[in-house]
Amino acid sequence: MPLSRRDFLKASAAAAALAAATGGRLGATEVEAAEGGIRWGKAPCRFCGTGCGVLVGVSNGKIVATKGDPAAPVNKGLNCIKGYFLSKVLYGKDRLTKPLIRKGNRMVEASWAEEMELIASKFKESITKHGPDSVAIFGSGQWTVFEGYAAAKLFKGGIGTNNIEPNARFCMASAVTGFMTTFASDEPMGCYDDLDLGDTYFLWGANMAECHPVLFSRLIDNRLKNPNVKIIDFGTRHTRTSQMADKYIRFNPQTDLALLNGIAHIIVRDKLYDENFIKKHVVFKKGKTNIGYGLEDKFKFADDPKPLTFDEYREFLKPYTPEYVAKLSGVPAKTIEEVAKLYADKSRKVNSLWTMGFNQHVRGTWVNNLVYNVHLLTGKICKPGENPMSLTGQPSACGTAREVGTFTHRLPADMVVTNPEHRAKAAEIWGVDVKKIPEKPTYHATEMFRALDRGDIKVLWVQVTNPFQSAPNLSRYRKGARKGDGRFVIVSDIYPTRSTELADVILPSASWVEKEGFFGNAERRGQQWFKMVDPPGEARNDLWQLMELARRLGHGKLFPYKYPEKEMFEEYRRFTGGGKDLAPYDAYVKARGLRWPYVNGKETLWRYAEGHDPYVKTGEGVKFYKNKANDGRAVIWARPYEPAAEVPDRQYPFWLCTGRVLEHWHTGTMTGRVPELKRAYGAAVCELHPEDAKKLGIKQGGKVKLTSRRGSIVLTADLRGRGKAEKGNVFVAFFDENKLINELCIDAYCPISGEPDYKKCAVKVEKA
Amino acid sequence: MSEREQNGNSGCTRRQFLKGGVGVPLAMALAGGMVTVPFLKRADARGFYLRPPGAVDEKRFLGACIRCGKCVNVCPYDSIKLAGPDAGVSIGTPVIRPREEPCYLCPDLPCARACPSGALDSGLQEIEKVRMGTAVIVDRENCLSLRGLRCEVCYSNCPLIDKAITIEARHNERTGVHSIMEPVIHREKCVGCGICEKTCVREKPVIVVQKTPPKLEDHYEF
Amino acid sequence: MSFKRWTAARRSVQAAVILLLGSPLVGQSFFNGNLAAADLMGLPLVDPLAATQAVLASRIVVPAFLVSASAVALFYFLVGGRTFCAWICPVYLLTEAGDALRRRTGLAGRTAPLATKKWLLLIVLCVTVVTGLPLFEILSPIGMFARAVAYGGYLAISCLIGIVLVEVVLSRRIWCRSLCPLGGFYSLLGRYSPTRVWFTPSRCTACGACARICPVEEVLEPSLGRGELRVVSGDCTRCGACVDICPHRALTMKSFARH
Repeated sequence: MPLSRRDFLKASAAAAALAAATGGRLGATEVEAAEGGIRWGKAPCRFCGTGCGVLVGVSNGKIVATKGDPAAPVNKGLNCIKGYFLSKVLYGKDRLTKPLIRKGNRMVEASWAEEMELIASKFKESITKHGPDSVAIFGSGQWTVFEGYAAAKLFKGGIGTNNIEPNARFCMASAVTGFMTTFASDEPMGCYDDLDLGDTYFLWGANMAECHPVLFSRLIDNRLKNPNVKIIDFGTRHTRTSQMADKYIRFNPQTDLALLNGIAHIIVRDKLYDENFIKKHVVFKKGKTNIGYGLEDKFKFADDPKPLTFDEYREFLKPYTPEYVAKLSGVPAKTIEEVAKLYADKSRKVNSLWTMGFNQHVRGTWVNNLVYNVHLLTGKICKPGENPMSLTGQPSACGTAREVGTFTHRLPADMVVTNPEHRAKAAEIWGVDVKKIPEKPTYHATEMFRALDRGDIKVLWVQVTNPFQSAPNLSRYRKGARKGDGRFVIVSDIYPTRSTELADVILPSASWVEKEGFFGNAERRGQQWFKMVDPPGEARNDLWQLMELARRLGHGKLFPYKYPEKEMFEEYRRFTGGGKDLAPYDAYVKARGLRWPYVNGKETLWRYAEGHDPYVKTGEGVKFYKNKANDGRAVIWARPYEPAAEVPDRQYPFWLCTGRVLEHWHTGTMTGRVPELKRAYGAAVCELHPEDAKKLGIKQGGKVKLTSRRGSIVLTADLRGRGKAEKGNVFVAFFDENKLINELCIDAYCPISGEPDYKKCAVKVEKA
Repeated sequence: MSEREQNGNSGCTRRQFLKGGVGVPLAMALAGGMVTVPFLKRADARGFYLRPPGAVDEKRFLGACIRCGKCVNVCPYDSIKLAGPDAGVSIGTPVIRPREEPCYLCPDLPCARACPSGALDSGLQEIEKVRMGTAVIVDRENCLSLRGLRCEVCYSNCPLIDKAITIEARHNERTGVHSIMEPVIHREKCVGCGICEKTCVREKPVIVVQKTPPKLEDHYEF
Repeated sequence: MSFKRWTAARRSVQAAVILLLGSPLVGQSFFNGNLAAADLMGLPLVDPLAATQAVLASRIVVPAFLVSASAVALFYFLVGGRTFCAWICPVYLLTEAGDALRRRTGLAGRTAPLATKKWLLLIVLCVTVVTGLPLFEILSPIGMFARAVAYGGYLAISCLIGIVLVEVVLSRRIWCRSLCPLGGFYSLLGRYSPTRVWFTPSRCTACGACARICPVEEVLEPSLGRGELRVVSGDCTRCGACVDICPHRALTMKSFARH
């Protein structure tokens, strides 16, 4: 809509006024346009890892509208309905606006000074009495990069503890360890352009239609334009993705390990591998087997990699014949043969895409390795339109949690606390004594909550996440939080949640465009945004909260910034050379996101590939240059099939799987406050196969009781929903704060990644 | 002795009969009738009413429904409501207003089973055979799915998903790299429950249940 | 005055009916429906006039429907026909209250003839056949009352108040006596019902108390005036008011009695 002259003048005046008011930090380009009294600014969507760009419309200090950003390459103006309602997400009636302190059973209002002083005193007391490892912070893949960086710096470089973990441990950790063990570098080598350029797509444990909606739209359009395109959906449940795929292959839960080895078996057996590629770019290794499930507190595992020859690897694959795998997985041998041949088809550009089915898995690292194996055997990797791509769930699990390294064992840019050189570099950039940064990782997320339960951690700060709804074996950890005896739980959030209800102290926080921010999405695209509105009431952003605690703990000198966001970003950038290079902050301000490595003013679309990745020299073709220990080669791991932690038996005969639906995000604290989204999908239901229902005497809409060894729940049965459970399986979404399905889930985890298996445990199903 | 006693058993003269017997009360009845006649419009003059599952065609429905309210009471979701005076001759008959609460197609159809008079066919066993109406996207310009956004909430919640509503993907010309996922309603399968109308995320639903249009016969079979 | 047995019994039944009609509000499931049709603890009941209208209007015949309607008709035939009016119908209860008000205000003295409602019954049935609409079910104050109790509704309440006003000011108990087609229907059944009011002339002192209390006093005239031993008219509602009020116990209610 063209602006009238008066509107244009008004807009320019507004822009000038704005620039003046914000001290020139907002250049004229940032005030994108002013129409009819609404000022628009760019930001990435608050929700999933797709990272759609939106324009946020502000008027009178409030967000009044959002729209898809037509200039954003990720989505070109489109959104899913969660993104469509972004303008409502921050304005629920019960928005937290005042700091609250628990007094008995009630939460009493307090001032920020009072509250921060209380928190600081609890930290000091605990550190003095029990040491720095008695305090911890549980952050988020929805933290901005600044928040994550500040938290890592404060805890590792200030307080001197590795007790920092993100909720990304619950969603992407296996993908990370998969990347690290195979390539020695986190994050995919491909990008979303692969969705436009390939012709064969294997989806594994990913309901892309509902969980990466705009990316799925792009995939389908590829198929519309090229009838040659094939989409094959491997799943344990028939979803909307399965419905639109060319082929849905149902397999027994956990047997993805066997299937991938079975595919590799056929590729090796029929000599369909790319011998040249393997010779130049691959090494073979094996690790320990029978590695356990992490069910005991303080479970520790250290792998012991040993080199293999190709022939030894071939031997390893021998048992995974199509017949054996068919028996185990329920996938016909013929289908396995077809899939293997499709993977190896030299005329096809093959991609694999996966999310939580692979990651939330007791052998999540292994299964990530195994899918890379197939691509490495066939050389179908690091080419435009041909890549394995791990899809990220959260908006900044990549940008913040993984790249900034807000994990117990990590430092920024793939570095680890166990490596003295890495610690030295961190100490230098942070300006702290290298002895401050502890060299031993302490607890990953599940162990962190166990430590709180036991009392080894006394003070826990939770920011931008809702673990007391999302943790597995939830009842234990909910009880653990309220055991008293010196325990002190701080929760920073924007709404009352199942976590704030267990907190000793609640900090009302700013969200999304109520603060300046930076997210990194699934295709390595970092996206920046400016603060556009003030948070309501007395809410303050998490970065300020962290810096304020730092100041009160005597670590204020870690944050000597005038413009913390930009200065910290530039400081963080110093970590990221050599293949993870970030652009200068101002470049992100101007662009609709930039994909790293960003070198000489150019993004990188395909890592490790000559002509695309500036770190790959001419003539090298493909070089996994981050894997220095393996001479720039990727690792094909011999990982066997091992059963799930808890398998259905006579007493608990069904598999329980959990996950998401399109309308709601994670624990539903934001989407649950949008009336339209609640009306579209109100309460969690139990997906059940009609034949199972008939045997149990359960009708559509009837009540069903699910019981596991850890808890039970009553739900309405849905036999005809958009997701259709296979026989012997049930599925429940975890967004409903009144239906804590995670109480039934088992806190078994991948020993290498620490990521719990939310997709497999055993339950009893009865008519309620 | 009263006049009545004089006139014996039947108790009325012809004059009395005409004056008192038929005249005044009939006049009152006629007056009452004139007041109520504005209500007595043709069955569908006020537009389409969504009837509970198993309803016979509207004309016969209005005859057979004795306004007993049994179907209203047995509906576990309180979807069935009684029409008010604005409904004219439909006053007191059961209607479903999907945007308030649609029919959730209970498999045992308790409403149809409760109806004593056959206004709702109590022999109806399968929800697939229900024909309350047909969903139609009446406002394509405001439909988010048709504009390329990922919504399709009507499709996702349809109890006859992939039968009554399917998704037909087509190329999004504007972005060039995405698809438009259009929900397409198949009227021979749509039962008219109205769940789509309720769950539509727009302020005014762009998909509504309407009276099923008659099938127009020709010989084009594909 | 001795304890009014029949009136007490009748009031109890009337109260129970009101409670049943309102029971959906409190989620009770032993009574489902209203006076047109209902399930009472599993027993399907159907108003025979409603059934007649439905079949005439729609030409839909559901055998179970007609069986229930016939059973109900048989029941009312046996207990007296217009027994429905005095014992069950909530509009009768309402207009009884209206009549008490009328007596206090001393207004309407006129009455309209009883026979009119049989003609109106005929008209209703004819209109039903012709238009395909069950006329009385649409316009029935009984239905309105039941729906007003269970669901509320301004039109229903206004209509009922309107009827009471007309009865207080213009014509005593005109609805129940002269207009209600359902009353007309039941009066046809009551004409030959085996349950009747019987009269013992030897005890009668012609005090006229029964005639004064009877809402349809015409039915007593054959007994009072001409020595009939029983009430013949179908319009007797078997309300038992006359039985209760007679100081000499000259009237009794009997079933299957003989001369």
